[in-house]
Amino acid sequence: MATDTDSRVIEGFGQVSRTVGTLFRYLLLASTLFGIVMLGVLLLYVANDAIQPLTADPGWHLTFLCTFVLPSLAVGGYLYRRNRPAFRLGGSLVGALAVSLMFAGGASIVFVDILDPMVWFSYVVGFALAGLGVLAIERRSHSIPFSVRFVAAIAVVGVSLLVVPNLLIDLPYALIGWAVIAYTVGGVVAAALGRYVYRSRGPRKAIVAAGGVLLAVAALALAGPLVGVDPLPASIVAAVSLVPVCSYAGVAAFDRPKARVGLVFAAVVVGGAFLGAAVADLAGFAGPESWVNWSFLTNAHSGTAADAGLYPAIGGSILLMVTVAALSFPLGVGAAVYLEEYAPDNRFTRFIDINISNLAGVPSVVYGLLGLGVFVTYAGRAMGTVLVGGATLSLLILPIVIISSREAIRSVPEEMRQASYGMGATRWQTVKNVVLPRAFPGIMTGTILALGRAIGETAPLIMIGAPNVAFSLPTELTSKVSAMPLQVYAWAGLFASEEFYRQAVPAGVVVLLVVLLSMNSVAIVLRNRYEDGN
Amino acid sequence: MSNEPTETAGTDDPTDDDLSIQTDVSESVTDHGPTGATGTVVRSDAINVWYNDDQALKDITMEIPENRVTAMIGPSGCGKSTFLRCINRMNDRIDAARVEGDLYLRGKNVYDSDVDPVALRRRVGMVFQKPNPFPKSIYDNVAYGLEIQDVEGDYDEIVERSLKRAALWDEVKDQLDSSGLDLSGGQQQRLCIARAIAPDPEILLMDEPASALDPVATSQIEDLIDELAEEYTVVIVTHNMQQAARISDKTAVFLTGGELVEFGDTQKIFENPESQRVEDYITGKFG
Repeated sequence: MATDTDSRVIEGFGQVSRTVGTLFRYLLLASTLFGIVMLGVLLLYVANDAIQPLTADPGWHLTFLCTFVLPSLAVGGYLYRRNRPAFRLGGSLVGALAVSLMFAGGASIVFVDILDPMVWFSYVVGFALAGLGVLAIERRSHSIPFSVRFVAAIAVVGVSLLVVPNLLIDLPYALIGWAVIAYTVGGVVAAALGRYVYRSRGPRKAIVAAGGVLLAVAALALAGPLVGVDPLPASIVAAVSLVPVCSYAGVAAFDRPKARVGLVFAAVVVGGAFLGAAVADLAGFAGPESWVNWSFLTNAHSGTAADAGLYPAIGGSILLMVTVAALSFPLGVGAAVYLEEYAPDNRFTRFIDINISNLAGVPSVVYGLLGLGVFVTYAGRAMGTVLVGGATLSLLILPIVIISSREAIRSVPEEMRQASYGMGATRWQTVKNVVLPRAFPGIMTGTILALGRAIGETAPLIMIGAPNVAFSLPTELTSKVSAMPLQVYAWAGLFASEEFYRQAVPAGVVVLLVVLLSMNSVAIVLRNRYEDGN
Repeated sequence: MSNEPTETAGTDDPTDDDLSIQTDVSESVTDHGPTGATGTVVRSDAINVWYNDDQALKDITMEIPENRVTAMIGPSGCGKSTFLRCINRMNDRIDAARVEGDLYLRGKNVYDSDVDPVALRRRVGMVFQKPNPFPKSIYDNVAYGLEIQDVEGDYDEIVERSLKRAALWDEVKDQLDSSGLDLSGGQQQRLCIARAIAPDPEILLMDEPASALDPVATSQIEDLIDELAEEYTVVIVTHNMQQAARISDKTAVFLTGGELVEFGDTQKIFENPESQRVEDYITGKFG
């Protein structure tokens, strides 16, 4: 036996050539990186033009390197290797602060210049009453037949939305604007935190937590004038950004002992930025002459590039987004639910299927033409208004919303539906109680990404006659509206001059991209949480 | 059972190996006492099911007794799950499925034209192969059937009673607000059983309820089924013959082709089946 095995010793297995495979792999890598690298180079170029970091004093760079960059890298790097949950907590806190501050800025624009806080308040009360009324009617659903409940619900909603707001607006006294915002928006935060604390620690501490939130919002609003901010924007920043982020940090500090260290990371990043600014200010180091500055964000267009600003276009884009979301979300989700849960599989639905996929690829300029034809020429609305622009952009993203919502609904496991039908649920009960709640994060993700597409669209707005340059914010749905990409296009095209090319256009592009990326980051966070949930 | 389909009894002597397996099985047969003096809950009369052109069930005629555990065993694809789904008309949800024949639940033919399948399913509890709690709290999971059916009564009390019956109360009573998905697989399946019995159904259908669980969770589910049989009529599909022998009073053997080959007292089926095919299947000669 032994000799037998000896004679069959294998000297070596030889080599198999992988040259072609290796070549193929690097070709694939190159094609993967090509687009990203090109875009990255362009963005760096534009950002350099817009922010001009090299115009800053070297001392300024040194200050921020020492107070902000190095400490953040050190703490972040340490946590990344030693304590990943803490790193994530710290990172998400900083990210949440940055993104929520931007949303607070947008909300401030809306409440300061577009929407009277009293109007907002009266409609919030109207919607709240409508919701409570419908809920109360549903509670009695055992004893009242459906048709009666339905009529009663419609009556309650009608009265609370058509009558109550007008009554409130006409009241002889007006509430203080900041208080209205503080307690409508801050109330939601307080309720969310209170609910969380109630679940883990009982009612008494929940009341303390919720009351603390309301007090903090009010205190920050009143403290605003001390640092030169009006109470109204201060209350918005407090209610939308500072207080929710701090509540999140507080909850993490109490309930996640392992990740708690991450708060240090967040504190180092935020504190480092403030410390750097303070030191640079004291030492007299000049910062970069960025074109994206406060006056760019708050001015309207002007004859000279240095004075030109994006403010009306930012406000216009916000209003357009709100309109688009309000129109495309119910239509898109409705269509998706029908096609996934109700539609039989026949020639008609397959025809609709294929057409929705095709519509998602139709060039946006064609949608602009459609909007012009339907809303302006046929329906006789004025050109270039918020309503027409929003409706046209809604048409544009509707196929995308439908497709992504269908995807989300399809990903609800079939076992869930079976369980529900097996319990004797009707289709409506199954959709309402099981399918939609489960698919909701996915639907939100898809809708936000689609809104991101709409916010960057220029061609449809040009087609429906939106003004290239607006000097004031639109105040109602029928006023003319401009948008960020349209304003950038105007600077690049109509006011073509070296000055505008080098200053206003890059600054506008940077603002547009920052808004877009922060919207997408919300979508990504939602999707990650959704995947964790599975 | 006058109308149970049987084939001619085989008289081949089993080999020694087969004999030993058979002895093991028969030892573990539980006895719930005589099965004579109980009513019939479900009676099927010549049920045929087709999926497109493939016949999945052929002329199934059987009676399922009250407050007993009836097991359906057979190889994969023999139609035992399909028959279970005939009882609460879950096959209606499959476009390709076509059912012919009559099936009486407490004397009412569920395939009559005036029967609303949704209303029918409210009287029939069902537990599926894979634990499928909703992504809701434990409390909301158990109360789901009560809410969609607008059941009157004290939900807190019904939820507690159902969880107790499902032998889950002690493990979850302090975390009724946490998600049902946070439980272990065995706990999730008991939660699904609690959810199914909360609206107090006429009959409880179980489609391989333990096949996705580990042995410990499986034995908990089996003990639970044993206890549930005191109050409920349980029909359980399983491909685990030992499980059928352990927990059931009556056993129906389905074999390839969608035939009900033999139906009778579990002890008799496992110790002395009339059909040679059943004996071959039970002793492991095929399937």
